[in-house]
Amino acid sequence: MSHPAHRRPEYHKINKDLFVLTYGALVAQLCKDYEKDEDVNQYLDKMGYGIGTRLVEDFLARSCVGRCHSYSEIMDIIAQVAFKMYLGITPSVTCNNSSRNEFSLILDKNPLVEFVEELPAGRSSLCYCNLLCGIIRGALEMVHLAADVTFLQDRLKGDSVTEIGITFLKKRDEKKYRRKK
Amino acid sequence: MAVCIAVIAKENYPLYIRSTPTENELKFHYMVHTSLDVVDEKISAMGKALVDQRELYLGLLYPTKDYKVMFRKLHNSYTVVMCNPFYNSGDRIQSSRAFDNMVTSMMIQVC
Repeated sequence: MSHPAHRRPEYHKINKDLFVLTYGALVAQLCKDYEKDEDVNQYLDKMGYGIGTRLVEDFLARSCVGRCHSYSEIMDIIAQVAFKMYLGITPSVTCNNSSRNEFSLILDKNPLVEFVEELPAGRSSLCYCNLLCGIIRGALEMVHLAADVTFLQDRLKGDSVTEIGITFLKKRDEKKYRRKK
Repeated sequence: MAVCIAVIAKENYPLYIRSTPTENELKFHYMVHTSLDVVDEKISAMGKALVDQRELYLGLLYPTKDYKVMFRKLHNSYTVVMCNPFYNSGDRIQSSRAFDNMVTSMMIQVC
């Protein structure tokens, strides 16, 4: 990624394995703390929400994206700029309905699950990467966009792809779009 | 190609052991156990001498063909199993298909 002069200068990298192992430890600990998969999923989402509300500021400071004029522009920025910046991947975007407020991110690769082959026994409804859903939801909310974000498909559960569904909820006038995530 | 592959925990019990001919499986278990002594000897022989941290492959315990590449692959697969957050240290390695596939690729096929 190029670093034009007006961007914030620091961009420290950390070891990917350390990050992936840390995330794994987080999920494993939540699994020890909560018996039900729904509880673990919910707490991952809550944690992600807390991260997203803060991460969005970092994102806006670093990426200098302009004002967005449509939900699909927002989705493109999430997939091509934000995911690339924080996870090094570029999911593809599909639009799932004609009113153009339901979208999906299809993750071809997912670094977070690199060492997890399959969900452990008894944890078949665990959404291992649910933190991501919370992050996206929290980030969007900080730019005044309400959205439902969930996993529609998950490779760890046996599906062929990993798909995150984002449904923008209409809170205000269609015309008023704020600067995105 | 291998006839038997084993991963041994530091407490000297097997985390994973598989051999191809199904008869005489006990023979392989004994062989693995006795080879632990040879491993100990080699490690204590290195002693104060400069131990290259990366070179975990001790070399051949008994002189035959060179299997360095195979051991490296085995070690890499083992580290991936260890990095699984749901795998606890000391567990048998039983739910990792990738590890099984890697071992299968190394074992000779005996019909």
